[in-house]
Amino acid sequence: MTELQQQTLQAVLDRVIPPDDFPGAWEAGVGNYLARQFEGDLASRITFYLAGLDGIEAEAMAGLGKHFVSLGPNEQDSILQRVESGKVTTSWTISPEEFFKLMVETAAEGYYSNPEQGGNLGAISWAMTGFSKYGPV
Amino acid sequence: MKDFDAIIVGTGAGGGIVACVLAEAGKRVLLLERGQALSFTEVGRDHLRNQRLAIYGHNAGPDIEGNPRVFVDPLGISHIVKPHELDYHNNAACLGGGTRVYGAQAWRFSPDDFRMATKYGVPAGSSLADWPITYDDLEPYYERVEWELGVAGDGTALETQIPRKRSYPLPPVLPGPQTTALRNGARDLGWVVSPVPLLINTEPYNNRPACIECKYCVGFACPSDAKNGTQNTVIPRALASGNCELVVDAFAEKIETDASGKVIGISYLSKSSTAPQRQEARSKVVIISGGAIESARILLNSKSTHHQFGLGNEHDQVGRNLQGHLYPRAYGIMAHSVFNGVGPGVSIATTQFNHDNRGIVGGGMLADDFIKPPIDFWYDSLPPDLPRWGLRNKQFMRENYTRVLHVRGPVQDIPNPEGRVTVDQSVQDRWGIPVAKLSGTTHEETIIAAEFMRERAVDWLRASGCETVWSARPELMLSGRQHQAGTCRMGH
Repeated sequence: MTELQQQTLQAVLDRVIPPDDFPGAWEAGVGNYLARQFEGDLASRITFYLAGLDGIEAEAMAGLGKHFVSLGPNEQDSILQRVESGKVTTSWTISPEEFFKLMVETAAEGYYSNPEQGGNLGAISWAMTGFSKYGPV
Repeated sequence: MKDFDAIIVGTGAGGGIVACVLAEAGKRVLLLERGQALSFTEVGRDHLRNQRLAIYGHNAGPDIEGNPRVFVDPLGISHIVKPHELDYHNNAACLGGGTRVYGAQAWRFSPDDFRMATKYGVPAGSSLADWPITYDDLEPYYERVEWELGVAGDGTALETQIPRKRSYPLPPVLPGPQTTALRNGARDLGWVVSPVPLLINTEPYNNRPACIECKYCVGFACPSDAKNGTQNTVIPRALASGNCELVVDAFAEKIETDASGKVIGISYLSKSSTAPQRQEARSKVVIISGGAIESARILLNSKSTHHQFGLGNEHDQVGRNLQGHLYPRAYGIMAHSVFNGVGPGVSIATTQFNHDNRGIVGGGMLADDFIKPPIDFWYDSLPPDLPRWGLRNKQFMRENYTRVLHVRGPVQDIPNPEGRVTVDQSVQDRWGIPVAKLSGTTHEETIIAAEFMRERAVDWLRASGCETVWSARPELMLSGRQHQAGTCRMGH
């Protein structure tokens, strides 16, 4: 992964699960989760996933002349909405909708599943939802 | 070659109990299990790889590689599927079978379940039939199994709809805030409710401890061994009798017959996962209890001169009428938390729509749900109009994970002979044995019943105080999965 792809990934994930008074996706370790998955169950999808990140970056450069990571949250969200619905303005080598679904689902998996998977650091989402707050461990 | 009074294939709810009954009666039994005897740690608590949510794999067998099936979609196109994929219709393959990782609801059939063809008539295109036995025939055995394995419940609350002579051996699970909300809703609707009977030790029973109320019943193993499956009840008894030889990691390939066509034993692969070796064992009695799909597969693969279509398949019935349960479900948001984190979580049910619903063949039970890990909740339980990402999604998870009330339940699956298991000779498993091929759907009457029950689930949530309620309409599909049944009918 290039440095630019890394920056795009972090920026994308933090719009998918943004920080508020609970951590966003990146701080909660979703990047760790994905790194592990792309060496395991999702090894065959890494090229596909990176093509999606490149596609998002291309949408930003073509539409606004800036890197995705440099855009404001509203501009980033409107690009992500276009990708989600497949209404992209640049030429994609993969299905934008399919990429977006994979990206959102794997982000949720990293954020909400058990910390042993690499994400959900400190079981923070379980505290946020209340799953670990009540009842026996 | 070893000779037995009976050879049993599969150690789940069927095979485990048969092994115990025969072995304790002095019969010499060979009990074969294709999977392993898994410890609590081996089953683990992976939220993405378990028998409830199996995105990347699962935790109780069979192995993901080397065990394909073929699934024929509604357009007639065949797909090779792996065990953790939905269209595989998997049930756990390990010592205890599905009972190792089930939620352990312990419902009896109701008397009308045994005579649905008489009660409703047979819908066009369905193979609905009465059972050759009645509820009264089975009632003493329900009682026996409830007491020998250990079921927690309140028999009195259910008695009017499902008659019984004796109560359950264990008190029901304690109510939680979700129970109170749904009980109030049912009272306003005039519905009869009861605690959910569960094969869970609410008190120490059979020399094992009580439930510690964790959040991991469905899809996982029990940390305190308080969930009663065959692996910790009847199979240890069978082994203690000294009459039962248990072989795990043993894949049954074929039922063997002699020159006259009579059953003489079984051939199987020992150490099937590492160093498979073909073994044979002899018995005039072979009991196939490997789940509806794999049982049909073994029978269909047991061809010989006398049984050229497979064993017991002279009338092309083996593998037909595959059924499971469609599960209509609905969700709603309460003004306050209905979550106390105390497992199992499923606590209150109504059985009053099991039958006698105008214009509906059958019906079903409705109950609340087992505690869902947050990632299950994210995949399963969010409103369809909620964005799947962004702050609104995160804040919904934060504000409503503890406030969402869940109601769901199985409907009687109305059988379709075209929903079936066959064997695909062109696709073989890791040992070269032809695999199961699944095709067809349940009958359309099942969808009508499921939609009716979905509406009742919505009614219950609204009456319980949910202003916002959502649910998806049921769709016509093959049903099987962990509640699979129907492929080897009595009387055929």
